[in-house]
Amino acid sequence: MPLETFNGGTPLTMGVELELQLVSFSDYDLTASSPDLLHLLARKPFPGNVTPEITESMIEINSDVHTKHSELLAQLHQVRDTLVTAGEQLNIGIAGGGTHPFQKWVERRIFEKPRFKQVSQLYGYLAKQFTVFGQHVHIGCANGDDALFLLHSLSRYLPHFIALSASSPFVQGGDTLFNSARLNSVFAFPMSGRAPFLLSWDEFEHSYFAKMEHTGVIKSMKDFYWDIRPKPEYGTIELRVCDTPLTVERAAALACYLQALCAYLLERKEEPPAEDDYLVYNYNRFQACRFGLDGTVVHPKTYESLSLREDILTTLRKMDPYAEKLGGTAALNHLMQVTHMGSDAQYLRDQFAASGSVEGIVDAAVRRFRGRM
Amino acid sequence: MPDFLVISAELAWPLAVLLAWLAGEFIHRWTRLPRISVYGLVGFLCAQAFPDLFATEGSSPVTLLANVAFGLILFELGYRVNLHWLRINPWVPVSGLVETFATFAVVYLIAQLWGLPPMTSLLLASLAMSTSPAGVLRVVNESRSSGQVTERVLHLVAMNCVLAVLVFKVIVGFWVFQTSGSLTQAISHSLIELVASALLGAIFGMLVPAVLRHLGTLARDGTVAFALVVVILVAITHAADLSPVLATLAFGLTARHRRVAFTRTVRNFGAIGELMTVLLFVFAVSTLSWNNVLFGGGLALVLLLARFLVKTVSVAAFAHVGGIPWRKGILTGVALSPMSVFVVLLLEQTKYAGIVLVDELAAVAAMTLFMEVIGPIFTQRALILARETAQE
Repeated sequence: MPLETFNGGTPLTMGVELELQLVSFSDYDLTASSPDLLHLLARKPFPGNVTPEITESMIEINSDVHTKHSELLAQLHQVRDTLVTAGEQLNIGIAGGGTHPFQKWVERRIFEKPRFKQVSQLYGYLAKQFTVFGQHVHIGCANGDDALFLLHSLSRYLPHFIALSASSPFVQGGDTLFNSARLNSVFAFPMSGRAPFLLSWDEFEHSYFAKMEHTGVIKSMKDFYWDIRPKPEYGTIELRVCDTPLTVERAAALACYLQALCAYLLERKEEPPAEDDYLVYNYNRFQACRFGLDGTVVHPKTYESLSLREDILTTLRKMDPYAEKLGGTAALNHLMQVTHMGSDAQYLRDQFAASGSVEGIVDAAVRRFRGRM
Repeated sequence: MPDFLVISAELAWPLAVLLAWLAGEFIHRWTRLPRISVYGLVGFLCAQAFPDLFATEGSSPVTLLANVAFGLILFELGYRVNLHWLRINPWVPVSGLVETFATFAVVYLIAQLWGLPPMTSLLLASLAMSTSPAGVLRVVNESRSSGQVTERVLHLVAMNCVLAVLVFKVIVGFWVFQTSGSLTQAISHSLIELVASALLGAIFGMLVPAVLRHLGTLARDGTVAFALVVVILVAITHAADLSPVLATLAFGLTARHRRVAFTRTVRNFGAIGELMTVLLFVFAVSTLSWNNVLFGGGLALVLLLARFLVKTVSVAAFAHVGGIPWRKGILTGVALSPMSVFVVLLLEQTKYAGIVLVDELAAVAAMTLFMEVIGPIFTQRALILARETAQE
């Protein structure tokens, strides 16, 4: 199947996808309940879109396309409330967080859908280990060239999103010492990591995608698990490094931060992206995953060591005028708070200390998602 | 020669348990049938072949162990019940009430038409209300199922148990009043027993989490502490002629709702829990006699069919309003089939009070045997058809 045409749309529009955990109220483990929940949700209009994910213990929700923070947040609130109500009717807890702290991957069931079954057959246990939960943010681009330009320009800011959204410190019952352990699971896939350094859509389509397709390794863009990937049918780029935050407020804030950054980058005031930017890419990504806001990153152009927290604060301040123009000031203020108060990963560790059990973490995550605490 | 006989009697139970476990493993591997169905069958065959070796007194260690095993299962069930859900989705408790009392009414009517005395019919009807938590929970754990059928069947089983015990005890109270004429004795055999048992469980359910929280070792010690308290609760209820069923169920329920978020109590209480279950299922049918099974067989089949239909239809009727597809509603009703172990222990316990009902209720013996073997298979099939088991 040849690569779809890039359907250029309104620049800087945004949409959010959230993968969410379905939790049993009897033992706080994941429960294979997505078919039941989807059945119930299908009976009433849903204020967005809800779809199954690879294992039956996950669902994915999508927002519509938005331009303003307030609209996006209002819809995410509606979606969340509908989900929580349906979940309560079926005795299912719904939570954010990049990983479930103690679920055993071996107990997961693959959702009955041909694509998921194929993925499971190809990747073996990796498919079940992929029971991790991410937030994807789409930003509209005018054309394919802009999409690739943004994709590579954003590589320098990727650690910001990892650290700000980090909410997966626990895996298989233990503290991994990472703030975002989820990305380690994604890295196991052969088509993960960074996109090839191409800035022209035409070149991407003919020199890269067509060749890759010819090798038989990939069939569509869906087969790439890149950190940021173009989504030609939507006319967007899709940022995929964020853990699903514990609240929809943070999910909306992250989307608006990306929107403001793209607005800034599209002015092309910064030095243009270069292949050499990727020399420090994996190291910076690791620092953000491992140490979160306390990480130290290397600037890809100057090779200067920067405190990630400081770098985020500086960038947030720089983004202020862009956010103001786009109606996203509240979003940036929210993230400013995160740099002071700590990320969701910190919150989950605090909950572990307070409750003395991994179940206590899930209980807190379920309550936090409801926004009633 | 006498020495050999003594040794045989002492060896009878451990050997029967070992045989049941082995048979369970082999047959499960060949046929995928639930292991507990096989345990029951082996227990019944052993007891029929060597009735003297397997004769148990009310206070024998085996009876006590079986009660502890059942206590652990009831605690686990209580611990999984979410009362908050029953308030949020009232259709779940409504379907539970309807299926339980409709079963009572239909079984009572059939027993009357069959020509049984009214009191016997009432007792039969109250026993038929119940669903065996042991059968259902073991199948759920064995097949590692999760989903709405699993979730609902566990909550309905808990409701069934509580309601069946309440109604059964009230009827036993009447029975005592009719035969002895003493109202005080009747009330002490029903109302006081029920309230005291539930209260005892609830008090422990508040104390244990508080102590554990104080010790700060929830994750490490939760399971052992709960198991130990179940043993103590069973011993106390046993000594005081109270209901271990209500006490352990109330303990689980209260413990669950009094904790912040405990570590998950190991499903089945680990290897010791598994061992106790084999014993429990072997024990449950060893108390039945072949004569009773034959004598009550005809009525038992009619009653079981009626019970099955009433429960399935009643639960299915509320499926859609309760938020699940009709199909899952029907399967939830089907999964409520097991009833045996609960009935046996309830009757055994009544025996301590000086009332022997097993012989009066020949049909119960037959129902128990059929359902101990067939009931878990129904539950297992229902979970598989609902696509809620771990097998793909």
